[in-house]
Amino acid sequence: MLDVVLLVLASLASFGRMLAAYILSLLVAISLGILMARRRTAEAILMPILDVLQSIPILGFFPIAIVIFVSFLPKSIGLELAAIFLITTSLLWNMIFGVYTSVKSLDPNMFHMASVYRLKTFSRIAYIYVPAARAAIAANSIISWAGGWFFLTSAEVISAGSEEYKLLGIGSLIMDLYSKGDMLEFYIATAVLFAIIIASYLLIFNPATNLVIQHHLLPAWHRAFYYIYRFVSIVWEHIMHLGIKFESKGMAKHNMVIAVPLLTLPLLYINVVANLQKSPLFILEFMTNFLISLARVSLVVVVSFMITIVMAYLSLVKGLGPIIAIVGEILASIPAILWWPILSPLAVKASWLVSFIVFLQGSLWYEFFNVMLFGVPKIKMEVLELAKVYSIRGFNYFRYILIPSLLPSIASGALSAWGGAWNASIVAEYFESGSTTIDLGGVGSMLSKYTYGGRYDIVLYTVILWALMIVLLNKSVWSQIFKRVEKSFVVE
Amino acid sequence: MALVSLINIVKSFGEGGKVLRVLDGITLDIGEEFIAILGPSGCGKSTLLRIIAGVEKADSGEIKTVGNLVYGFVFQSPTLLPWLTVVDNVALPLIAKGVDKKVAREKALKYLSLVGLNGFEDFYPQELSGGMRQRVNIARALVVEPTILLMDEPFSQLDPLTAEALRAEILDIWLSGVTTVKSIVMVTHNVEEAVLMADRIVILTPRPAKITKIIEVKLPRPRDRRSKSFQDVVDQVYEYVS
Ligand SMILES: Nc1ncnc2c1ncn2[C@@H]1O[C@H](COP(=O)(O)OP(=O)(O)OP(=O)(O)O)[C@@H](O)[C@H]1O
Ligand SMILES: [Mg+2]
Repeated sequence: MLDVVLLVLASLASFGRMLAAYILSLLVAISLGILMARRRTAEAILMPILDVLQSIPILGFFPIAIVIFVSFLPKSIGLELAAIFLITTSLLWNMIFGVYTSVKSLDPNMFHMASVYRLKTFSRIAYIYVPAARAAIAANSIISWAGGWFFLTSAEVISAGSEEYKLLGIGSLIMDLYSKGDMLEFYIATAVLFAIIIASYLLIFNPATNLVIQHHLLPAWHRAFYYIYRFVSIVWEHIMHLGIKFESKGMAKHNMVIAVPLLTLPLLYINVVANLQKSPLFILEFMTNFLISLARVSLVVVVSFMITIVMAYLSLVKGLGPIIAIVGEILASIPAILWWPILSPLAVKASWLVSFIVFLQGSLWYEFFNVMLFGVPKIKMEVLELAKVYSIRGFNYFRYILIPSLLPSIASGALSAWGGAWNASIVAEYFESGSTTIDLGGVGSMLSKYTYGGRYDIVLYTVILWALMIVLLNKSVWSQIFKRVEKSFVVE
Repeated sequence: MALVSLINIVKSFGEGGKVLRVLDGITLDIGEEFIAILGPSGCGKSTLLRIIAGVEKADSGEIKTVGNLVYGFVFQSPTLLPWLTVVDNVALPLIAKGVDKKVAREKALKYLSLVGLNGFEDFYPQELSGGMRQRVNIARALVVEPTILLMDEPFSQLDPLTAEALRAEILDIWLSGVTTVKSIVMVTHNVEEAVLMADRIVILTPRPAKITKIIEVKLPRPRDRRSKSFQDVVDQVYEYVS
């Protein structure tokens, strides 16, 4: 029988890991988001870096991260920190952008007010920046939390070269049960995972979001949330209070000093670009695979857009919002690797379908939650009434009413979905368990394969070329799309 | 004696190709008095106030001050934080200075009642009328116990009746000496308002702003808008307003 103690411990371990990664992401997102919104140079440096980081599967670096962490720390702690660090990289980016946009769009008079009354960093964080970013933080947390679970298993089981590292956790437990062939126990453990995911949404993230956007948009259990809310506010207030006391005594400098470990990444570039020139064959292999993945990712982004529009329609017109939202939260949270065993009858025969589903899970929900949490609440009722009065229906309804009303959120959602799809490629294009290996080609598969093979030099080159291509595409395609959106579709 | 002396203040905005000169050599002494700064829209009045308050740096020129001055600032729009209650909005400058929250709130309550907002302390800004929000803005400026009160078109966004009532209250607070305020510098578009309230009226040119004329208003207080002498001063000011 399934070892209940093990199941409980594994669940707690995974949840703890997620929570640690989430709290870390929150703190980093608040610091970097504010820094970028308030300091030109930080904005100029970090913006392109973050753009790239959100579109490259940092999870591909897992073995490298393990090597780094383990070389400084005892093995068990090092592995744990490496896992938390990597889950963080799948939570972080949209949260940073959320904070950044909120602070950036604050009324400039607020900044005059803050400087006239000599508000220093902590006062500003506590009374201006974080409250202003609350809604963005909450809504992005919903997406990020799912993204964390999506990659959780990949962060708990990693074979790097000849070695396999495994952390105690519900993700690794489930994969273990699957490869041992204990199907009943596999399903029980999977059910427990679902229960944890659902509970975390109903108890924490949904009520928090409902509270700050002041719409009862998501199903939630508010009574229990109250205690969590009290606890978190008290802790936060104490920290801020200490900070304000500290800086008012003149002990802290006015300027924020925030360590930016990300800034060391460009150094890697310089180191490696020289070597790349030697291998035209490798570049050819990369380009072929990149184009394959690009086609998949583009298709996924388009399909995500269409599904999102249909679901936005169903929730706006048919009132199905809460149901779609909770189903979305669950589906989005299912660890990517789990889709393969869950859909095992299809895995070999129709692997492209499973791959597509995994891609979609890593991508669709960014689009969906962006539209549902930022677009739908801001839709002007007049516009919907106009559609009713003139009985605009069918295709015209989508073309002239729904899509234009949601457009800004559709565009920013699509950008996140694009990043999400690229990230998902490492789990959607390659799967390995026991004797089964599924390899669909593409850069994601390339990265996974070389990682499993322990060829970290090639992993590094792949990631660098990947980053260059992303920069190219973001600068050419996406910036054009955003320019169009800003010009033609601002509904006021 | 002057509390603040501005000497040849110059300020431009923009960098590289487009440079917008805003202030073009402003020299002015601010004593224990009520000064109105009158100038056309966009000429740089708000910028000048911010330079006096020390939150914006002049490109050149000098500012001399006497001792430790504390500035209160009444913003053109109330600029209240929507997520804080009225009392917390007013207490914020003190809390940020590290004053104990309870003490800060008590002081905030005192100034809220001075501007006639007894009983509204737990409301949120969105729940107040425009005039009430502007009172909160004024209470927040007073709570830091300023020596100099800087006001940026404090009445321009209010309806005429509310504006007139608030003008009278500001004058009352100023003349009764219940606060620490020694001088007031008020930016305005409104000639009659300047004549009603100020001891001296500083008239600025369109951008880049220079001082064209400083007019002393020697009328006794309370001033009567309908009196002949009042109208004479108004006419005199209009001569310099282009
Ligand atoms: N931070 C800034 N950066 C660039 N230009 C600025 C900045 N602040 C003000 N300006 C410009 O300087 C000029 C003067 O602005 P300021 O707000 O001081 O004028 P004002 O006299 O207060 O105008 P108003 O009567 O509309 O309040 C304006 O043209 C404005 O666009
Ligand atoms: Mg102004």
